Amino acid sequence: MSSIKEKFNQISPSEFFYRNRDLAGFSNPTRSLYTAVREFVENGLDACDQKGILPDIHLTIKAVDPEKPDPKPYILTVKDNGPGIESKHVPLAFGTVLYGSKFGLKQARGMFGLGATMAILYGQITTNKPVTVKSSTDAKTSDEFELILDIQKNKPVILKHKTKDVSKKGLSVSIFLEGDYSKAGAKIRDYVYQTSLITPYATITFDDPKGEKYHYPRIIKTMPRPPTIIRPHPYGIDVETIRRMIVESQFEIPTIDDAMIEKVRKDLGLSKKNLSFTAIMAKAKTRWKNLSRQVRVVIALMSFLKMDFEKLNKIRIEDIDVPNKKLFYWDFGDSQSKSVDMDPESQYYRQLTNTVQGETLTAFLTKRFQRVGPTTAVKFAQFAGFKPEKRIGSMTNQELVKLSDALQKFDDFMSPDPSCLAPLGEEPLEKGMRKFFEPDFLAVIQRNASAYSGFPFVVEMGIAYGGNINTRGIKVYRYANRIPLLYDEGSDVVLKVVNDIDWSRYKAKGDPPLVIVSHICSTRIPYKTVGKENVADRQEIEKELKLAIQFIARKLSVFMNKKGQAEAAKKRANLYAKYIPLIAQFCTELAGKTKEPNVQKILQEEKPIENE
Amino acid sequence: MSKKSDKAKALQKKATEKQKNILEMLKSHGAKIYEDLDNGQFPKFSIPSRSVSNIVYDKKLRQYILGNSTALRSSRNTSQLRSFTQLMWLAFFANRLTNEKKSSTLRDIYYSSQAFAIDFEDQAESDNIIVDLEAVTSRPREDFHIFPEERSSIFGDLNIEYTIPGYEGKSMNLANHPDGYAIGPSLTTAELVDTSAEIVIAIEKGGLFTRFVEEQVDKKFKSIIINTGGQAPRSTRTLLKRLHDEMKLPVIILTDGDVYGEHIAMVIKSGSANAAHLRELTVPDAKWVGVWATDIEKYKLPTIPMTESDIKRCYDLQKDPRYLDGIWKKELEVFLRLKRKAELEAFSKYGLTNITEKYLPQKLELAKSL
Ligand SMILES: Nc1ncnc2c1ncn2[C@@H]1O[C@H](COP(=O)(O)OP(=O)(O)OP(=O)(O)O)[C@@H](O)[C@H]1O
Ligand SMILES: [Mg+2]
Repeated sequence: MSSIKEKFNQISPSEFFYRNRDLAGFSNPTRSLYTAVREFVENGLDACDQKGILPDIHLTIKAVDPEKPDPKPYILTVKDNGPGIESKHVPLAFGTVLYGSKFGLKQARGMFGLGATMAILYGQITTNKPVTVKSSTDAKTSDEFELILDIQKNKPVILKHKTKDVSKKGLSVSIFLEGDYSKAGAKIRDYVYQTSLITPYATITFDDPKGEKYHYPRIIKTMPRPPTIIRPHPYGIDVETIRRMIVESQFEIPTIDDAMIEKVRKDLGLSKKNLSFTAIMAKAKTRWKNLSRQVRVVIALMSFLKMDFEKLNKIRIEDIDVPNKKLFYWDFGDSQSKSVDMDPESQYYRQLTNTVQGETLTAFLTKRFQRVGPTTAVKFAQFAGFKPEKRIGSMTNQELVKLSDALQKFDDFMSPDPSCLAPLGEEPLEKGMRKFFEPDFLAVIQRNASAYSGFPFVVEMGIAYGGNINTRGIKVYRYANRIPLLYDEGSDVVLKVVNDIDWSRYKAKGDPPLVIVSHICSTRIPYKTVGKENVADRQEIEKELKLAIQFIARKLSVFMNKKGQAEAAKKRANLYAKYIPLIAQFCTELAGKTKEPNVQKILQEEKPIENE
Repeated sequence: MSKKSDKAKALQKKATEKQKNILEMLKSHGAKIYEDLDNGQFPKFSIPSRSVSNIVYDKKLRQYILGNSTALRSSRNTSQLRSFTQLMWLAFFANRLTNEKKSSTLRDIYYSSQAFAIDFEDQAESDNIIVDLEAVTSRPREDFHIFPEERSSIFGDLNIEYTIPGYEGKSMNLANHPDGYAIGPSLTTAELVDTSAEIVIAIEKGGLFTRFVEEQVDKKFKSIIINTGGQAPRSTRTLLKRLHDEMKLPVIILTDGDVYGEHIAMVIKSGSANAAHLRELTVPDAKWVGVWATDIEKYKLPTIPMTESDIKRCYDLQKDPRYLDGIWKKELEVFLRLKRKAELEAFSKYGLTNITEKYLPQKLELAKSL
């Protein structure tokens, strides 16, 4: 993590912005307005989701000068009722690239810690105006900031900061930005509409620049279960990630400064006394059991350096070279690097090497990955050709590559843990769709969790027919992690699967008024393009989508059959009602009778059973 | 005088008898339907199937007849309900016509239906229902006072007495009007009293019919001349049959020298597949005397080339069992060989009276040996 941050720090944020504006969706005023809306709305929803708060999102877009032709400056404000951000973190969250709280492995809309800052940067670059953030975490006071980003230093500059009394928690962001609502409007309205469909537990209001209000009140009052953060699955890991995890797993050699020495003295009960090296070692031996890990490491170092506290104060440890059993240090007095040999027989040797070389392979696997038990870990070590007790810190580059390859190839890992996913659930999806489309028929399904390359995913799907649906043909609403996908629909895997279905087999012929809602949840959605608008056709995902759609399509066909039967019965009854009395009339005269036969018996019998 | 009115009474009695039978039959059909309905059942009836597979050629009768397979028409079946109702209406309407002794045409039927909310889409549909009625009752539509629009006519020394209401007993000689008499309902139902003619000449075309009258073919050859106006209408065929059966007159047929002419003669002789459900429309002894394909060569007639459809028609007819032998077979083959045809008028090349003075006598002579 830290290494990535460092990498980005080497370029200025504006440079970063320009390099990545297409990727982040800020390529032109139309797309930028839409992207900015998305970033802020999704942040608000994420914040509420994480704290289990039923979201109330208010989006406002206003033209600075309504008379001007597009593209022109707009004020975009998004206000939520979420947990807010603590005052001291506000400038960081909104003023630096890659500040985020969502890096853990679980499903969220935001992922990179970029969105808000990119939108703010875009606004600042195009209008030269600060961003206004108001945040209240306690429903008592609100911190209100006006910030601009210092583009040279990648630092937020606080122009104004005041506090105010308020009665509601939540956060509001307001930026000025160049946009084109006449072109982006339809997309934004679609986005708001579709977002409300997949977030039926939220109230979303949109005041548009033309004075129109789009209000989508909450349909259900229960929040879906929030996702839990989980450890990664072996299948989803690459060499770079392993390297990062190893760094995290290693214990650092403590810096031996005054504070550290003071702590060691205290723990040995030698605060006041100045003992010789051998006396210190003896004392340590008696107290060993009660010493903390850090202190033990310092004692071990001292044992090889053969120094007392005074001498120790004048050096800095440089490196522990395990293969050569040497300890390097910098002597401030002589201003040079020195080394001592370490005796591998010494009881302190293990202490040091363990610290430097990190965990054993099996411990690393069981502690750092999900769903790997000790038995599996040992089996894997054999499979990969490592000793189970091999210290991962001691692995060479080559060995790391070998480890990473083996992790992908080992078949006996359990499938990924889906608890990090937050599908909407069948009931909320059904309620949302019912409210939105008021259909004649509705079916939903949530498939069991599955996985591709170590990333768990869940497919949810719903189908609605007739009722208030007045579009002809099949309309597909695509979602990934509760975000509607509006652009680039052509090459999407969901559409591919929908189009591959022979709908006439399911009694939906011609251009039926059909709506399909597809939601893919995953810790990593395999987007086809950086624009994050269409999902690539991973075999596993395609299979799940297919099974889901076949399931709901079968239900549709049962309904259509019944409906067809009811319609046919009605048609028949109408025909009888029209013709039988005529036949009665004609045959009465033909038979030379005066009274017509009683046809009610037949007509009654053939009355259709009313449709539900 | 008194003899005449006696005969008129007898005729009337006969006509009334026939009418009574028809009305009885319609009534019994109606009663069955009525009963079904009253019992809370969907009425149904069976009808001889008129599908191609059920149309067979009867060698003894020398005509097409319907086979044994029948189809059930049920008012429960919604795809049949409409035509079922239409047929009921038609029976009901025919009943009225017969009762009131009123006649109507196929076209009349189509329009009359509209007063009863019976939605015939077009006349073809109503014509088809009329055929249904004929099939169910095995009676020609004329029995129900339904007639086609007439184009055919008759001329010659034949005394008739009308049986239609208002004209009962009134008599007429059919040589009294040189344009000939239209063959309509009153003529087909008239009593054929007597004639001096010894043969009936049916001719395909109105133009030639007029020429024959002018040239007094009726007198010169002791004949009754009938203009079939192309394909002979059923009333004309009925009359031809009656002239043959009741007056014992042989019938010869003169048509254009093409495949259609040949078939006009064949239909008079042995009926059409369209009317396979009826048996009183054929004159099996009628003889086609020309214009034959062989005549074209023999008389060196001016010709026109056959069209694609003429040729196709030849091949179609070659599959018909009636064209498997005799002149029928031979002439088809010659037509196909010549690929040319000639009209009756072609004889005008040799003078306007050539046909009546030269050709006809030869053919009449020939007919005796056919
Ligand atoms: N409305 C909000 N309420 C509370 N916290 C917020 C809100 N908006 C942003 N944050 C905090 O600021 C961080 C940065 O937001 P930002 O949009 O830049 O990144 P992200 O949402 O984590 O990822 P992404 O780049 O994919 O949007 C978030 O991770 C979150 O901790
Ligand atoms: Mg975000």
